[in-house]
Amino acid sequence: MSLLEVKDLRVSFGMRNGDLEAIKGVSFSLEKGERIGIVGESGAGKSVVAFSILNLISKPGFISDGEIKFKGQSLSKMTEKQLSSIRGNQIAMVFQDPMMTLNPVLTIGVQMIESLKAHRKLSDAEARKESIRRLKQVQIPSAEQRLDQYPHELSGGMKQRVIIAIALLNDPDLIIADEPTTALDVTIQAEIMDLMLELCENNGVSLILITHDLGVVSETTKKVLVMYSGKIIETGPTRQVIENPNHPYTKGLIKALPQMADNGQRLNQIPGTMPTLNKIPPGCAFNPRCEFADDKCRSEMPELIAAEFRSVACHKFQESTK
Amino acid sequence: MSQVSREYKVMSDKIKLVEINGLHKRFPIKKDILSELSFKGGKITREQEQVHAINGVSLTVNKGDALCVVGESGCGKSTIARTVMNLISPSEGTITFAGKRIDNLTPKQLVPYRKKMQMIFQNPYASLNPRMTIEETLLEPIKFHFSEKNLDEQRSMLEHTMDSVGIDPSWGERYPHEFSGGQRQRISIARALSVDPEFIVADEPISALDVSIQAQVLNLMMDAREQRDLTYLFITHDLSVVEQFGSHVAVMYLGTLCEYSETQDLFDQPLHPYTQALISAIPNLHGKTEHIKMTGEIPTPVNLPSGCVFHGRCPYANERCKQEVPKKLEMKPSHFVACHGVEEGRL
Repeated sequence: MSLLEVKDLRVSFGMRNGDLEAIKGVSFSLEKGERIGIVGESGAGKSVVAFSILNLISKPGFISDGEIKFKGQSLSKMTEKQLSSIRGNQIAMVFQDPMMTLNPVLTIGVQMIESLKAHRKLSDAEARKESIRRLKQVQIPSAEQRLDQYPHELSGGMKQRVIIAIALLNDPDLIIADEPTTALDVTIQAEIMDLMLELCENNGVSLILITHDLGVVSETTKKVLVMYSGKIIETGPTRQVIENPNHPYTKGLIKALPQMADNGQRLNQIPGTMPTLNKIPPGCAFNPRCEFADDKCRSEMPELIAAEFRSVACHKFQESTK
Repeated sequence: MSQVSREYKVMSDKIKLVEINGLHKRFPIKKDILSELSFKGGKITREQEQVHAINGVSLTVNKGDALCVVGESGCGKSTIARTVMNLISPSEGTITFAGKRIDNLTPKQLVPYRKKMQMIFQNPYASLNPRMTIEETLLEPIKFHFSEKNLDEQRSMLEHTMDSVGIDPSWGERYPHEFSGGQRQRISIARALSVDPEFIVADEPISALDVSIQAQVLNLMMDAREQRDLTYLFITHDLSVVEQFGSHVAVMYLGTLCEYSETQDLFDQPLHPYTQALISAIPNLHGKTEHIKMTGEIPTPVNLPSGCVFHGRCPYANERCKQEVPKKLEMKPSHFVACHGVEEGRL
C-alpha cells in the first residue's frame, strides 16, 4: 500500500459565472520514504494540489472529484476533526514565506509547544525539552535562548529552520513543502535543502517538494511531476526527465534555463504565456505555445500515457513512439 | 562568445561610461531624539545609529559592458543601483557619467542625464502606475524629453518602442492589470528604452518572473544591447543569469566589493572564498553536488565586523582577517579580489 495515493483529483473554484476547474484530474502515488517534486510555472496548480491533500482549499475553491488516500484512509471524506489529528502530526506542511508562516506576536517556544501539545500529552517542561531537541536538530545555535525569541528577531533562513523544526516535531510520515526556499538567498537555500534532505533520509520521511526551480528538484528528489495548466503533462525519474525530456513544454522549460545556453547567446524561449483558467484553449492546453502542434492537438486533449517508468501527455510524442 | 560581444570587449578598453569612486552610503536609523542623546566626557552628545549599506565601493562600467552586481539580500546591490541613478545621494564618494560628476547635481541639472540613464525595476506590478494606460505611461517620458517634437512624431516613437519589445501598439489603451507579469516587464523595458538611453540600470528585472518568461525578457534585453549599443548595470542574485548575461561581474558582500572580473574568468576560477561558496550554492540540474558550507549568519550592516567583513563566515579566516581590512588587488589582468588569503597565497 502506498503512503499517499491521489486519484483523479479535481479542484474547482466557484465563480459568479460558473465553476473554473483549476486541477483537472491529477493522479500520483508516493511510497514511504520517497521524495517527489512537483514543478511548473505559476498558475500551473502546483500549490492547489498540495493544499488539497490536507483539504486546506478555502472558499470559493473546493475539491469537486477524486480521492486522496493516506495510509489507506480517504482524506477527502474525513471530518474537520479527524483531519486536524493528521495535519501537523502525520502530514506536516512547510510553506513558502517564512515571514508569513510564523505568528509574529508569539515566541518561537509558544508556537512549538502548542503544536506538540495539540497532538501529544506532554507537560510544558517536556514539550520545551523536545522543542529544544528539535531546534538543535535543524542546527540552530543557542536553541534555549531562541525559544524565547519572537520571529522578527530571527533571519529568514533561521525562520525557515524553525518552521522545518516545527514540521518535524511530531515525527510526520510526510512533509509537503511548498516552495520552501523561494524567499531565501542561494547560499541559505543550499543549506536549507541540504538539511531537509538529510532529515528526510535519516527519519524515513516522505517529501512532496513543490518548486519552480528545476535545479532544486534535481538535487532533492527521485521522481518528478511536471504540471501545466492544472494537469500533469510528464512524470518520471527526475534525472531522466531533466536529461531527456519528452514533452515539448518540459523541453522548452529546461532549454530556457540560463545554465543551458552558451554564454552570451540568446536563450531558448517558449513563446507566449500559460493561459489563465478562463481562457484555456481546446485540445492540449499547451498547443498555442507549441511548435509541433497540429489539428489533433488543437481539438483533442492528450491523455497521460505511461510507458515503463515515465508518462507523457502529448499526441506528438505518442505518434513518434508508435 | 558571439562576435558582437567581442567587439564590445575591444571598445570597452577605450571609454569609461560610469565610474563609481569610493562610494559610501549610510542610512540613519530613526529613533526618538532622547534615546540618541548620551552623556560622554562631561558633554551631552547625540549619536545616531546607522546602517552601513555601502562601504567604499569603486567600480567602472565601460561603454558596451553588461556589468552584473551579485550578492545576497542586504549586501547593498540595490543601493548601488539607486545611487548611480541619483535616486539617493551618496554619503561619500563620487559618481561620474561620461567623465562628468553627476552625484552633486541639482534635479534640474540632472535632466539631460536622465535621458541617457534609465532604470528598470524589479517588480513590474509595483513600477507601473495602475491608473494610467500603457500609452500614457510610455508617452510620458517621450513628451518630457522630446518636447520639441510634435505629437505625431512622439507617437511614432512610442509605437516603434512598443514594437521593439513585442508589445502590440494597439494595446496602448489598456491598463497594467490587463497584462501578465512578463508583459508588464516588457512595458517597463519599453519605458526605459523609449528615450533612447545609453545606460540602463536594471534592478533584479527578472526575479519576479517564471522561468520561461525570464528567458523571453533576458533575450529582449540582450537584443536591445546589440541593437542600441547599450551599457547595462544589472543587479541580480541569480548567478546562472550572470553567467549568461554579464560581460563583467562584481561580487558584493555586506556593502563591500569582494571580487571583480570578466564573467568567464570569474566562473572558471573564482578566487574569493565567498564567490566560491556562492557559485557552489547554485542548484545543479544534473544531480546533487557538494555545497561549500559557510559558518554563521550574515552580520547586520549596523555594526560592521572588524577587518574583512566576511571573516565571520569564512572557513579560512585567521587573525589577520579579523583585524585588517583587505585591499583590492589585481591578481590577474582585470581580475580584482579583496582577500588576505588570496594575497598570501594560502587559498
